[in-house]
Amino acid sequence: MNRAWQHLAFIALSFAISWGFSLAWAADGAEAEKENASKDPSSPAETPKFVDLTIYPSEIHLNHAAAKQQAIAVARRTDGISVDVTSLVEWKCKADNAAEPLAKWADGRVQPLRDGNTTLVARLDQPSLDQTNSDSLSASVPVYVQGATINKEVSFRHDVMPIFLRAGCNAGGCHGSSRGKDGFQLSLFGYDPAGDYFRLTRERATRRLNRALPDDSLLLEKCIGAVPHTGGKRFEKESEYYSTLHNWVSAGAPSDLADAPTVESLQLYPPEATMELDDAQQFVALATYSDGNVRDVTDLALFLSSDSTVASIDPQGRCVAGVRGEAFVMARFDTHTVGSPVLTLPTESIYQPTETPPANYIDELVDAKLNTLRIPPSERSSDAEFLRRVTIDLAGRLPEVAELEAFLANEAPDKRALAIDRLIDTPEFRKLWTLHWANLLMVRSENNRVDYKAMQLYFEWIAEQIQQNRPLDEFVHELLTASGPTFVAPAGNFYQVEPLAAKTAENVAQAFLGIRVQCAQCHNHPFDRWTMEDYYGFAAFFSQVGRKPGEDYREMIVFDRGFGETNHPVDGKPRPPQTLGGEPTELAKENRVDRRKVAADWITSPENPYFATNLGNRFWAHFFGVGIVEPVDDVRVSNPPSNQALYDALGSKLIEYDFDFTRLVRDICNSNAYQRASSTTEANQHDRRNFAYARTRRIPAEVLLDCVSQATGAEEKLPGLPLGARATQVADGKANHYFLKTFGRSKRDTVCACEARAEPTLSQALHLMNGATVHGKINQGKLIESMLEEGAQPQEVARRLYLRCLSREPSDAELAALDKLIAEDPKPRDELQDVFWALLNSREFLFNH
Amino acid sequence: MLPLIRSMSSHPLSRRGFLSVGALSGLGLGLADFLAIRESAAAENLYETPPQVAKSVIHIFLPGGLSAQESFDPKPYAPIEYRGELRAIPTKITGESFSELLPKTAQLADKLTVVRSLTHGEAAHERGQHNMMTYYRPSPALQFPSMGSVVSHEQGPRNNLPGYICVPNAPNPYASSGYLSSAYAPFALGDAPERAGFKVRDLNHPGGIDHSRAMRRRQALEIVNRQFTSQTTSDDVHAMSSFYERAFDLIDSPAAREAFNLEAEEGKVRDRYGRNQAGQRMLMARRLVEAGARFVTLSYGGWDHHQQVTTNMRRNMPAFDQGYAALIADLEERGLLGETLVLVSSEFGRTPKINADGGRDHWSKVFSVVLAGGGTKRGAVVGSSGPTASDPEETPISPEDLATTIYHQLGIPANKELMSPGGRPVEIVNGGKIRPELLG
Repeated sequence: MNRAWQHLAFIALSFAISWGFSLAWAADGAEAEKENASKDPSSPAETPKFVDLTIYPSEIHLNHAAAKQQAIAVARRTDGISVDVTSLVEWKCKADNAAEPLAKWADGRVQPLRDGNTTLVARLDQPSLDQTNSDSLSASVPVYVQGATINKEVSFRHDVMPIFLRAGCNAGGCHGSSRGKDGFQLSLFGYDPAGDYFRLTRERATRRLNRALPDDSLLLEKCIGAVPHTGGKRFEKESEYYSTLHNWVSAGAPSDLADAPTVESLQLYPPEATMELDDAQQFVALATYSDGNVRDVTDLALFLSSDSTVASIDPQGRCVAGVRGEAFVMARFDTHTVGSPVLTLPTESIYQPTETPPANYIDELVDAKLNTLRIPPSERSSDAEFLRRVTIDLAGRLPEVAELEAFLANEAPDKRALAIDRLIDTPEFRKLWTLHWANLLMVRSENNRVDYKAMQLYFEWIAEQIQQNRPLDEFVHELLTASGPTFVAPAGNFYQVEPLAAKTAENVAQAFLGIRVQCAQCHNHPFDRWTMEDYYGFAAFFSQVGRKPGEDYREMIVFDRGFGETNHPVDGKPRPPQTLGGEPTELAKENRVDRRKVAADWITSPENPYFATNLGNRFWAHFFGVGIVEPVDDVRVSNPPSNQALYDALGSKLIEYDFDFTRLVRDICNSNAYQRASSTTEANQHDRRNFAYARTRRIPAEVLLDCVSQATGAEEKLPGLPLGARATQVADGKANHYFLKTFGRSKRDTVCACEARAEPTLSQALHLMNGATVHGKINQGKLIESMLEEGAQPQEVARRLYLRCLSREPSDAELAALDKLIAEDPKPRDELQDVFWALLNSREFLFNH
Repeated sequence: MLPLIRSMSSHPLSRRGFLSVGALSGLGLGLADFLAIRESAAAENLYETPPQVAKSVIHIFLPGGLSAQESFDPKPYAPIEYRGELRAIPTKITGESFSELLPKTAQLADKLTVVRSLTHGEAAHERGQHNMMTYYRPSPALQFPSMGSVVSHEQGPRNNLPGYICVPNAPNPYASSGYLSSAYAPFALGDAPERAGFKVRDLNHPGGIDHSRAMRRRQALEIVNRQFTSQTTSDDVHAMSSFYERAFDLIDSPAAREAFNLEAEEGKVRDRYGRNQAGQRMLMARRLVEAGARFVTLSYGGWDHHQQVTTNMRRNMPAFDQGYAALIADLEERGLLGETLVLVSSEFGRTPKINADGGRDHWSKVFSVVLAGGGTKRGAVVGSSGPTASDPEETPISPEDLATTIYHQLGIPANKELMSPGGRPVEIVNGGKIRPELLG
């Protein structure tokens, strides 16, 4: 192990030197110099040895005469870096026993010659480190050729349509716009192939396609810019795309819509890559069809990167590494999007993995990721820092001075764990999580729809569930299947807040699964797998919810109507209920069940891939200020978790704990990751998503108000609550309160987690400085007066104020500086009030750190 | 001047990811050398700063999608289902007409540049608003800043007034600072100027706090903050610090505070603008701009008239007409029109044909925006939407072109790159052109 690190250090140093020079040259503006300085994999002095060689894809199928399969070779070095050696290896299609080879290697692709099974071999020669003999690595993959003489017809569905996506023809700004562009419309991202076929071949008669003279087809002329085209030239006349379209028109523009196979899955190779700055890696995309065919779609897929500063990818699938970090490189084809994680590592740093033993499974996973990325974590927080942080996060308040002093004096090794247990047992903890759920479930009164009383009962119902520590799966299940009068079964308000079936389905998907399906209402989701079939199928679960007035005019009765469908707008036909990513379910006519129950069973099932992980991530985000998937309610292939293993682990733990969220919260708070210092180091300050240090977060609106009240000892009168109640208890999202509004309280208009905001604004600064909250409460609480009354010296008062507000002692320098502001007056009330004001206005007070 | 806060994630080194400065020192290159090298390497983004003509912008945003046919681009010769029920009236520009609902504005059309051929492809409210606030198409990967935030970022506050102010609140989520630090987010008045008892809160020291106490509070705050702010790298903490500095500047400047005091306007001026939402918001904007605010965005009404477009326009338009005409005339009288660019825009226009409900639906292919002052042409109609307001028939103008031209008048090069998170440089506007047709 040690030797490996020394070896690495040597390499890092040699790179640093060569890079240093390249930088000096770059000063002359010569970008090319950098290219020269980049690593040449064949140069033995700088490069660690390759230890293995892999060919992708792992098997090759060629099933018609013109079939081609791009293949790549990736070699892994001793230091874990993967290098694209496609152009360095020697490629060969084995001849086997046959007289002639069955396939040939040309232009980076395998092409069929005759039917049969053969092998593609790659050999990489590398000089060994002692320069005496060379050793070589080799790899091989099977090649299956079947139908080498078949000339396949051009498929509208699978050859022509993908070109529209790849060339951007059916994008929203072009012909995919709901009204088309310049008189020609395609369905957005190809959600309606039949409609597209109709518009190409039938609309405006023969204008778009000329079967007799294919060259004169407007479709072909526009694409290559032979005639004026607002969208410009999309591709060259010599391109594959052009010849595909040309062949299709020549063949009479046949339709294969009726019997075309569907794309079952998409694969992207290599499945992962670890690269260094400016390394390049070619990616290859393969589609598997329902008829079993596998096809190279690298030329037809769209490539994108989740973070192009870390890894950018061009339209041909060539990925180039940038700054340190992790990105997800994705390919989209048909309705499928798949991705491969790409890790970019710095060449210069000499990294020592952390030696702190993990506190629990969370640390194992967080540390593993930090080690992979070579990011050193910050040290452990001080006891005072920890107690303030955890008290705000768990109980929504500041530690009391006595509480703090007892904690600091306590020498028990497990005092942090005990503090966590104690805080989780407080009513404030329950109130805080009631607030979270009330935000998510949009608890707010609405004119003519949700009466104040119904809203209040809804809030109380949620509070009761949290109070009783109801397992979250049961809680959500009851909510989704609620029936009856909303005064008796307040959970039914979930269906009262939002009366539309489709919107309800969107809310359910976003709130409980973290999936945004909104896009798919009008077209297939552009960045995810969701299609309109998924959308209307899922909405069908909520299309039979009935609502009628109850006995009390403020009450509604939610019931299962037993009829009502959602129609797919493309064909106008009802969609059968269908879980997201599942198959349509035909529900039995007799012994019918409430469709919502079917949906709720699926959502809350431990097998559901989204439910538990999404919940786990929401808890995580509360304590770290950022989710593992961020935003927490935008789970999609193209927005991958920053730590997949951790994301999965939180979900499976929640299931293991029978959806008792307090246990998960306990794990999170006990982890080293949560207990790190908020100060950063040179080496980890750029980390955003891997939890190398504790993130400094502005305290949420409700909690901040409670903290100001607590610190000043002045109670707040909140809407609908008695004096002294906490801001976390305000039931109605519609309630008006200037402080809460200004500091970004959730309005609960939507289920979006973005409703509660924490960005600072000028209005916040002005309000804290001049508004009634801070200044008014200092006067109202009369703390300073009573402390002086008790005979406390000004310095002692200042010290106590520090402890109250910031949970720490003032430093000597601070005390000395403040002393100068305090006059000789033995009872300097005004001066101390000003110090109090300063403490409550300080960044240190406003932020949890 | 305030320190310009950069997004913390904007890598201090180039995005090309040069190695750490530490490794350089081994070669005898110090940090200063390194930065000098970087400076010269950063020359990949060449831009020229144009002279500043417009010193401020008043952006009147009409949310929902204003019907051009019922306002600045009537089609009197089109069949009734295209034309609608409203008549067209002549304007001060010979041969050009406005809707009958804009009589006062028509009388000063010779001071305006009416663009009738704005076009973009986004017919959903959020996406259209994104286009017309940030002048970028929405992207799943990046939040773009609004024009007001960019101006605030580039030019900072003036006369101690926030660089970017929204009256009364940000009209939509895209009016914000996007990938720039939240320090460039708009300052929202928080109260509507048309409301009786309107007051911008918290601009004055609380009762009983005189100057000397206010100063002592600030000194104490400085002492308490020192340790924490010097240790943290949090972008939000630094943004909050810059808001405090701005708040102090504002409070210390009676002139700046007075700009928010609408009561200081004479009654007859308030009447002239109209004692309603449109009028008082526009008057507020004029006060702010006069006092030095760089970018004021105000919103008025709701224009999403899927039903009964005629009735709705009759209800909404007259107040706009009165306020807008008063604003332009007032700016002219005060000699401010030359340096104040007034932009009237909406997220998109409305369908050529009246629908079954007597309304018009979303139409982003062609719609109108109106410019005045700030060096724009006086008395011009640019572009045409054809006989039925269906397509830009001549001189199509994209949001990018519009933005580039406005930035140009403000003395901001639109092709300058700003740094987005992860150190990715993004041009202020993606590929727009300065349109001489719009400029005087």
